[in-house]
Amino acid sequence: MLLTSLDPRINRLQVPADWPNSAVKKQLDQWATYEVFTQKRENTPYAYVGPVHAPDLEVAFVFAKEQYSRRAACFGLWVVKTQDIQHTPYVDDNESVFNLLNIPAPATASEQSEAFEIFMLKKRGKAHTHAGTVLASGYQNALAQAKQQFGEQIPCVNIWVAPAAKILKSSEEDKDWWLTLNEKKYREPVAYKVLDKINAFKNRTTNTP
Amino acid sequence: MNELAIKELLYTLADNQLILGHRNSEWTGIGPILEEDIAFSSMAQDKLGHSLAFYTLLHELGESDPDTLAFMRNAAQFHCCHLVELPIGEYDFSLIRHFLYDHAEAIRFEYLAQSSYEPAAKVAAKLRGELKYHLLHANTMVKQLGNATAESISRLQQSLNYAFPYALGMFQPSPYEADLASSNIFPRESNIQAQWLESIQKILAQTQLQQTAVHTISPVLGGRLGQHSEYLQPLLDEMAEVINIDPSTEW
Repeated sequence: MLLTSLDPRINRLQVPADWPNSAVKKQLDQWATYEVFTQKRENTPYAYVGPVHAPDLEVAFVFAKEQYSRRAACFGLWVVKTQDIQHTPYVDDNESVFNLLNIPAPATASEQSEAFEIFMLKKRGKAHTHAGTVLASGYQNALAQAKQQFGEQIPCVNIWVAPAAKILKSSEEDKDWWLTLNEKKYREPVAYKVLDKINAFKNRTTNTP
Repeated sequence: MNELAIKELLYTLADNQLILGHRNSEWTGIGPILEEDIAFSSMAQDKLGHSLAFYTLLHELGESDPDTLAFMRNAAQFHCCHLVELPIGEYDFSLIRHFLYDHAEAIRFEYLAQSSYEPAAKVAAKLRGELKYHLLHANTMVKQLGNATAESISRLQQSLNYAFPYALGMFQPSPYEADLASSNIFPRESNIQAQWLESIQKILAQTQLQQTAVHTISPVLGGRLGQHSEYLQPLLDEMAEVINIDPSTEW
């Protein structure tokens, strides 16, 4: 028996009505997750928008673009593998996570230094926002650098650290991806102007006995 | 300005975008994974938007309004190639079609942006950015799956072999091709095909996929002149199912 549906596409798929007895998948038999940051206005910090899952960074980037910038205005996109981000513990709102960091003051940049991007969360429930870039010899050192550079910015309830080289970033030339976004209001629920019709229907039905 | 030639060009561009956009939208909700479902659907929507832009230019030249052009014509009045009419098949075919089609589309839009017919040049220049993403998507996915597993490689290879004669049909020349070329409105299809071959080969060379020699394949032609595959009319019927319930309804 084939699955039948009012949707002709489903009928064309010719899939069996009963779910086949396929082998149970192994645990963790799935793609890795990647974290996505977008720039919503020009010259403003990148902010966290959510994850995608993908087989590699390039595919994650392609998916992230439509997943997170098909509606809201966008000027840039950063994507990084979740595993490449390290984070501090959380503290309560109005506290500073920097107070938890008992990391020795950073040594001057060494030969092995590389750039790390620092993302700070000002309040629980908000999004991590890019605070800046530090040069450091590793994640711990990057946190110490961050404390020195951004430690005054309180409250800060959580910090993410990621090596800049592991982040796939859209380039200046990619900006025209989003040029026509303004004309795609039909993707917004407000574009469906049905309220007039609903009100007219309500009036009609409440006025007739 | 040769108006007949321009209209024929606009119809061909618009019809190809409309039919492939509609075909690709059939993946909405049943895509291989959530993220790809969203990406493929968005790009399908973009293609419908492109067709609207070209139908609007036709309307400005005195043709019917875009809805009438999209929903109220018969198959014989369409100028699209057979490649875009084919059913979505399995995802490997839809991906390969998207790859083959969008490489040609990107080249067409680059030429259009330079066209001496300014209204089309403006449309193309504006929509170029969307195309760049479509191409990045197609290339990324073909490189990924064209190198992944024995199954993904053989599926893509079979789809590539199947789609190739249809893809060559994209380059059927306009009856007015000489006019279009000499007035710098649009180049000859043979130019576009040559560039397209180079462009897809650059990507295929980075995969395990083999491309058969082009000169041994005869293209599937006819679409541009209104001779279509058996798949177009049923698609048009389905597309117009809602509007046909009451063509005068305002949405």
